Amino acid sequence: MNTKVNQRQPSIERAFVSRFAMHMFFTILIIFILTFVGSRMFTHMDLNLYGYMVGTLVFLIGLFYRFLSWSERPPAKLMIKKGKKLIFRKRTAKTTTNDIALQRFIWNRGLYRWFQHMMMGWGVIISCLVTFPLVFGWMYFTMDDNGFYTVVFMGLNLMKISADGFLAFLFYNSLNITAIMVITGASMAIYRRLKNMQARAEQTVVFDFMPLYMLLFISISGLLLTVSNVFFKGFIQPELSLIHQFSVIVTLIYLPFGKLAHIPMRPLGVYVKNYREYYGNQSMKKCKVCSNEFVSTEQSKDVIDVLNQNAIEFKKEEGFHLAELCLPCRRNYRISKFSGVKTHLTKAKEANQDARG
Amino acid sequence: MKKVLYIELENCIGCRSCLAGCTQCGGHEQRNRNYVIDVNPFVDRQTMPMMCLHCENPPCARSCPVQAIQVHETGAVLSAMTEKCLGCQNCTIACPYGIPKFDVEQNLMYKCDLCIDRTKDGIPPMCASVCPTNTLQWVTEEELAVKKSQFRLSNGMMASMEDPYLENKTNVHVSLPGILEGKEKLF
Repeated sequence: MNTKVNQRQPSIERAFVSRFAMHMFFTILIIFILTFVGSRMFTHMDLNLYGYMVGTLVFLIGLFYRFLSWSERPPAKLMIKKGKKLIFRKRTAKTTTNDIALQRFIWNRGLYRWFQHMMMGWGVIISCLVTFPLVFGWMYFTMDDNGFYTVVFMGLNLMKISADGFLAFLFYNSLNITAIMVITGASMAIYRRLKNMQARAEQTVVFDFMPLYMLLFISISGLLLTVSNVFFKGFIQPELSLIHQFSVIVTLIYLPFGKLAHIPMRPLGVYVKNYREYYGNQSMKKCKVCSNEFVSTEQSKDVIDVLNQNAIEFKKEEGFHLAELCLPCRRNYRISKFSGVKTHLTKAKEANQDARG
Repeated sequence: MKKVLYIELENCIGCRSCLAGCTQCGGHEQRNRNYVIDVNPFVDRQTMPMMCLHCENPPCARSCPVQAIQVHETGAVLSAMTEKCLGCQNCTIACPYGIPKFDVEQNLMYKCDLCIDRTKDGIPPMCASVCPTNTLQWVTEEELAVKKSQFRLSNGMMASMEDPYLENKTNVHVSLPGILEGKEKLF
């Protein structure tokens, strides 16, 4: 089927054996060019970080493999396709701030959970923003005048900072600070998972605890490097450095396949919100029984399409598809099938269904 | 021994114990996930429970763009995984029985998970534990087979899982009111 599509639509994809190959090729090409420019023609590569570079490339292979196979599923494909078109809406910035940066929906699940997740989330993100530029030589420091560092970013002299100044302190200790953030968050998360009944009900050691242990391991081993340097004159520093590097690489390779896969996946929440808001404003679907508006016309149609692609068809003899009924009417319709009484056609409001816990 | 949820619809007296019990399940954060529906609201007081029937091929999971809805090895279709659910609500549209609930504030779908923290260890779900009239029962497959043979009609119909009563094969089994089956049931 892919071949057919390619024949009809001549595109760059035809130059590659698969979409996976194409994405990998362009990503590595872009990284290569950025590194060429950023490290001033490979003259400022930190070979101490070579292992991380190889780890990152293996991570990219896993990431593309996982996400391309996932994006072929009918509902994902549809959401990505429609979300892409709506990405330049004004609301995108607001949604990104609320959902990705501030994680307000987690705030609504509880202050404790929000704090632990902000600590872990931003700890990991800032660590990545610091580490990757260092690994690929996009950012490095030079010292022309004694006592002053020049921060070089993408080959440009970004700023000059005093080696004893506050900014320099932040630069030296950024990964220590993020390590403390991650340790705080991960410890809180482990504590919650041990105590909270909701968490205990569904969690498993491998899926829910292992990523936390991995983050803890990375953060603690990273922090120990500083402790070794500052307090113990670099005692077993090379060994610690290798242990830390190993833990980071293993976590990077694991990332696309476990719970941490939600990190690259979550930004799609912006697509989803745009999709719901945009099509909701266009036109709302009226329930075929009670005429209440309950979802956008587009989404109702899309869900029917997706179900059809999965060989699921809920077209009823009454002439409607079940996805065209609002939720209470759909429940009443089922009761009518059970009882023979036309419950869904009775104009009565559904009784309160929310018990107080 | 594998046990399944079995619903004897006509036994329901509308006490809503199942709703209250549902809120008390360890994994439910004080929110119930089932329904009790008035069958013929302005005429009589007959009610019937409505809950996730745990489809073998669940449309909610099929329509989820991020595979947030997982099917447990016991066959229970679980609530959306909190870290994956993006809040698109496709599942609520796809479900043929109108079951999944959506929390707008938390941007999260939640639904009956058959009290997975209990049933995975062979303990009955809360609704079946508290139902005073045996509308909701937690039965072994042998008991289910006995019930099926008991209610099988001479015309070969077993009013349990076939169309037009249900849309698909489900892990929860429903026994229709006797009046529809043309048979008086004795308990």
